[in-house]
Amino acid sequence: MSLINYSSREINCKIVYYGPGLCGKTTNLQHIYSRVPQDTRGKMISLATEMDRTLFFDFLPIELGQIRGFRTRFHLYTVPGQVYYNASRKLILKGVDGIVFVADSQIDRFEANVESYMNMLDNLAEHDLSVERIPFVMQYNKRDLPRVVPVEDLERELNPKKAPYFEAVALRGTGVFDTLKVACKLVLKTLG
Amino acid sequence: MVKGNWALYEEDFWAINTTLQSLIQTASAKSVMLIDKTGQLISSIGEPPGFDVTSFSSLAAADFAANQELAEMVGETDFATLVHQGSNESLYLSMIANRVILVVLFDKKTSLGLVRLKARRAGDELLSVLNKLFDKLQYKNEELSSATLGAEFAAEAENEIDSLFKE
Repeated sequence: MSLINYSSREINCKIVYYGPGLCGKTTNLQHIYSRVPQDTRGKMISLATEMDRTLFFDFLPIELGQIRGFRTRFHLYTVPGQVYYNASRKLILKGVDGIVFVADSQIDRFEANVESYMNMLDNLAEHDLSVERIPFVMQYNKRDLPRVVPVEDLERELNPKKAPYFEAVALRGTGVFDTLKVACKLVLKTLG
Repeated sequence: MVKGNWALYEEDFWAINTTLQSLIQTASAKSVMLIDKTGQLISSIGEPPGFDVTSFSSLAAADFAANQELAEMVGETDFATLVHQGSNESLYLSMIANRVILVVLFDKKTSLGLVRLKARRAGDELLSVLNKLFDKLQYKNEELSSATLGAEFAAEAENEIDSLFKE
C-alpha cells in the first residue's frame, strides 16, 4: 500500500518478490543491495533459518531520491518460498503495490513454479487483488543452467496475461536491475 | 496526478505529532513511532533511535501481523497490544483503527503500567485524528492530491530509476 506523506514529503511503495523455494528471490535482493550506492539503501534484513533459507522475509529499503520534492522509497520484500510457510507469504502480501515473480527455469522445478504461481493467485485473491490489477513482472531466473525450460513454455504456463518478463542469472546480476526497473516504473504509474 | 492508497496531509501530521509528543512526556518514554500496518513509518518522535527506523518499522509490522495470526489460532480476534520487555529497553506496541501501529520505546525511567495507561489515552486521540483523515481520504482524495503533485512526477521518477538501477 503506497503511503504519501504530504507533510514530511515522502512516498513509500512496497514491492514483493514471490516464487518457489530456492528460485533466487533473496539473491535478487542481495545483488541490488551490493550494487546500489550506499546512501540510497537502508539496512537489509533477512529473517532466515540457520541454513540461510528465508523464514519470514527479506527486506531492503531503497531510496530513489527527491522527485518533485518528495523523497521516494521502495520497500523490497521477499516471501519464504517453501510450501509450508504460506501464512507468512499471505502476511507479506498485505499492502503490496507491485509483484516480481521469480521463476526457476530448471526443468525439474517447473511444477514448483506452477504451484507457487497458483498459490500467489490464491493469496492475492484473499487481499482482493489479482495479477491483472497490480503491477506484475515475471523473471525467468537461472537461464545459465544446462537443463532449462524454453522461455515460450514458461510464458505459456506462468504468464498468460503477458506481463513484462526478463531472463536472468541473479547470481551474476544479469537481469536483476532490468526486472526491478520495470517493476518500480509500473508501480509509480499506478500512483500517477 | 499522484495518489496513494492513503495519504497524510500537513494538518493531520501535526495533529498526530502533537499527540505523540505529549505521550513521550507524560509516559517518560524515550521515543514513539507511528507505523502503517504494512510496515511504513508514518512518524517518529523523541530521542533519535540508534537504529534504522525503516527496518524497525518493517519488523514491527511483521511482528504484529504474525501475532494477529497467532491470536486467531487460539480463538481471539486479535492481540491488540504487544509488549517486549528487555533488561534495559522495552517496547509497547498497540494497533489503532486496525490500520496503524503505535510503538513506544521506553527504559527503566518509567514503568509498563504508566506507558500502557498513557498509550491508551494517546491511542484514543489518534483514533479520532485518523478517523477524520480516513473520511477525508474517502471523499476528497482526488481534490487534495491534485493540488499538490503534478503529472510530471512519474516521468521524473522514471529517470531517477534508470540512473539508480544500472550495472
